[in-house]
Amino acid sequence: MSDSVRATSSGPGRVLIAVYGIFALSATARAAVQIASKFHEAPVAYLLSALSGVVYILATIGLAGHRPWSRRLAWTAVVIELVGVLAVGTFTVLDSGDFPDDTVWSVYGRGYGFIPLVLPLIGLWWLRRTRANVRP
Amino acid sequence: MIAALEVVVLVALGVLAVYGLVLTVLNRPPDRISTIAVGVVVALLVVQAAVAVVQVLGGVQLVETSTFLIYLAVSIGVLPIATQFATATDENTGDGPTRWGGTVIAVGAIAVAVAVVRLQYLWDARV
Repeated sequence: MSDSVRATSSGPGRVLIAVYGIFALSATARAAVQIASKFHEAPVAYLLSALSGVVYILATIGLAGHRPWSRRLAWTAVVIELVGVLAVGTFTVLDSGDFPDDTVWSVYGRGYGFIPLVLPLIGLWWLRRTRANVRP
Repeated sequence: MIAALEVVVLVALGVLAVYGLVLTVLNRPPDRISTIAVGVVVALLVVQAAVAVVQVLGGVQLVETSTFLIYLAVSIGVLPIATQFATATDENTGDGPTRWGGTVIAVGAIAVAVAVVRLQYLWDARV
């Protein structure tokens, strides 16, 4: 372990990982059911739903891991997550007609208490905070 | 599903979440009481899930049976995993459980409460 870099899994990081883990589970399970049962109704939406599940899984792995690539994986996943929730959120607000409102990122995550909108911001803050040269 | 048991489960989950947050505020790692509390709550959830599965096998028709069964599994599985994670020693850094363990348990309890509420919605939509 490096002296100046704090593990992303330390202290409150465990809370963040727990939240990401729960979103990984719920988004993935939900997408799996949607794709298995009603994929033809909205293929793009349900593929995006599956993508969100994958992104949450990768973010969880990145934040919990201690390998050299873990931090980069977490950064990448959280940035994609932020772009995803903003893009899907904006699209669903502007044009709710085509897009079912039951994916994680629909209307900026309204169905999930807007946690999907806040979570990537906290994730980015935590990654930055633990990056280097942070004195306790 | 037993409606009265659902109320008991939700209250127990609320108490557990508050207890976890209090541990964090008091700067204490999860203790024996939190482990026992999680055990009690999970036991209640197992009873609820067992009743529900028996009812589904007994012929109750739900609109979304597979979603219902997934939520049942989630309602049982999340708290043991969250508690393990909250109390584990980090094998890479050697860090033991911290005050944040209580918040991890609280997050798990809130997630399970959401799952229980969704279970009730799915149950109410039976054919």
